[in-house]
Amino acid sequence: MEKNTSHIDKLKQHIHNKSNDLDLYLKALNSAYSGIIITDNMQHDNPIIYCNTAFETISGYSHNEIIGHNCRFLQAQDRSQPERQIIKDSIIRGEECKVEIRNYRKDGTLFWNELFISPVKNDEGKVTHFIGVQNDITARKKAEHDLREEKSHVEQKIQERTKELQDKEIFLSSIIETVRESLLVLDANYVVLSANKHFLNSFKVSSEETVGKPLFELGKKQWNINSLKELLTQILPTNNPVIDYEVDNLFPHIGRKVMLLNAYRIEFEGHYKDRILIAIEDITEKKEQDRRKDDFLSIASHELKTPLTTIKGLVQILQRMSGDHPNPKFVNTLDKMSSYVDRLNLLITKLLDTAKIQSGNIELHMEPFDIDKTIRDAIDNIKLAVPGYEICISGTTGAIVEGDELQIIQVVNNLLSNAIKYSPDSDKVDVGIHKVANFVKISVRDYGMGINYQDRLKIFERFYRASHIQKKFPGLGIGLYVSHEIIANHKGTLWVESEPGEGSTFNFTLPIINNDDNDGA
Amino acid sequence: MERKTIMICDDDKGILEMLELFLELEGFHVICEINSTNLITQLNTHKPDLLLLDLWMPLLSGDQVLKIIRGTAEIKHLPVIVLSASVDGNVIAKQLGADGFIAKPFDLDDITSGITTILSN
Repeated sequence: MEKNTSHIDKLKQHIHNKSNDLDLYLKALNSAYSGIIITDNMQHDNPIIYCNTAFETISGYSHNEIIGHNCRFLQAQDRSQPERQIIKDSIIRGEECKVEIRNYRKDGTLFWNELFISPVKNDEGKVTHFIGVQNDITARKKAEHDLREEKSHVEQKIQERTKELQDKEIFLSSIIETVRESLLVLDANYVVLSANKHFLNSFKVSSEETVGKPLFELGKKQWNINSLKELLTQILPTNNPVIDYEVDNLFPHIGRKVMLLNAYRIEFEGHYKDRILIAIEDITEKKEQDRRKDDFLSIASHELKTPLTTIKGLVQILQRMSGDHPNPKFVNTLDKMSSYVDRLNLLITKLLDTAKIQSGNIELHMEPFDIDKTIRDAIDNIKLAVPGYEICISGTTGAIVEGDELQIIQVVNNLLSNAIKYSPDSDKVDVGIHKVANFVKISVRDYGMGINYQDRLKIFERFYRASHIQKKFPGLGIGLYVSHEIIANHKGTLWVESEPGEGSTFNFTLPIINNDDNDGA
Repeated sequence: MERKTIMICDDDKGILEMLELFLELEGFHVICEINSTNLITQLNTHKPDLLLLDLWMPLLSGDQVLKIIRGTAEIKHLPVIVLSASVDGNVIAKQLGADGFIAKPFDLDDITSGITTILSN
């Protein structure tokens, strides 16, 4: 008995020890981060017979809801994952397996389960249990997924942009090849990257002798001009284009030509900021035509003025002789003749000026002159041409300005004749001459139809004519353009203030010279 | 007052006749020359007090004539007023040392005042 008792005691002690060990193991399992389950492979449908606390946390189910179920309850309706088959096969073969599978918590939310299954075999090698260890790798999976998405998104974007760029390049190059202007694309070192057909044809050169060569070394170095070089060097850093640069030079194969060169930095949506597009237009013919036109008009004007001089002189001689003529009608008739001769002269002068300005051949003959006197004399002359019109002058400046007096007179004539022309229902124009800081300001105020906002923006453009006056008031659309250019050449400004129906005021300023001497005025 | 002699050189007959008529009415002695190539000889012969000179003339232009005058000792100081219908006439006149410039078509008053101003100096 004693022996038995001690045996039982030993057994008890053994069991007690084992139980303590088991407690320790259970504690260890429960404190694990990974979810752990044990299934009983000997029972039907391999039910879960143990789960640790971490598994409850991961799955959201409580211990009691878990025990007795097959593991597949975590898959909810998501039954078509290939990983399921891997698990099934491993269980049948009694082998280990590791899968990453989509599982669903009790609240239905998805989690990615990194599942490791390991069989437990008895002494006979039969699989009695499976141990499943699970890790929630949702965060990692999401990061991987996002990365993949992002990558494919970027790849797609790149493809789209590449396609877009290719399309644009095709589009651009088709324009470049079709356009009837010579075009060159240069890199930052002024080496020709491409030349269009028009360039090659116009300059009678081949692509081989052009592309890959610096612009300044093309042909007989006809583009190697210091001032042009300077302008071109400014293009890339400042984005200041070269506008209408004239090159008058001897070109190989085609002889002496005048070329008009425009150069721009190419802006292609952030790309190619280091490229220069050069457009070259052969204006030799145009220049020659302009010159011939100028010559013709100079001669025509001279030839017209010659007989006019005789007529004007003869009329004046008659006027002098008729000083005490008894018939006032005779005297009046002569006066009329005289004013019409002056008008004819004005028309001829205008014709010539227009031609000169159009071809850009205005030369300034700068000299100091008394602006008050010039303006008053100009107005007195106009008064002769438009008797019955009231032109009131106010103000004086006593200032001396430096400029081309004849051209300033022309501006005054233009502004006054406009004021009169576009005020058919009024017979009054006010002219103001004032000193404003270091400038004289001349204002011509009419009481005519006024100018609307749209037209105000454009009236100083060449050949611009406000549409509604087109038919009623014939003209060339050049007077204001010419005036604007003349004043700009004198470093002054010409502008208009106007409202439709309320008349217009044209103002211009001219800088005063030796201001100190004239302060007292 | 001594009657002053004015010589006029212009290739246009109308202008010559008109100016001749006017200046004679104004009391001047007038000599006209339509052919500029004869002018220098004429000037040496008649020794006028003042020359009214056109610029655009065939064979010998006004500016060429003026250059010759200013380079010829006897007539170097002859007062010359340039009359021209060309736009840059005043510039040419000044460059070549003319004493005055009057644009065509002109006021006769400008002719008389131009002549009297120069002659009184």
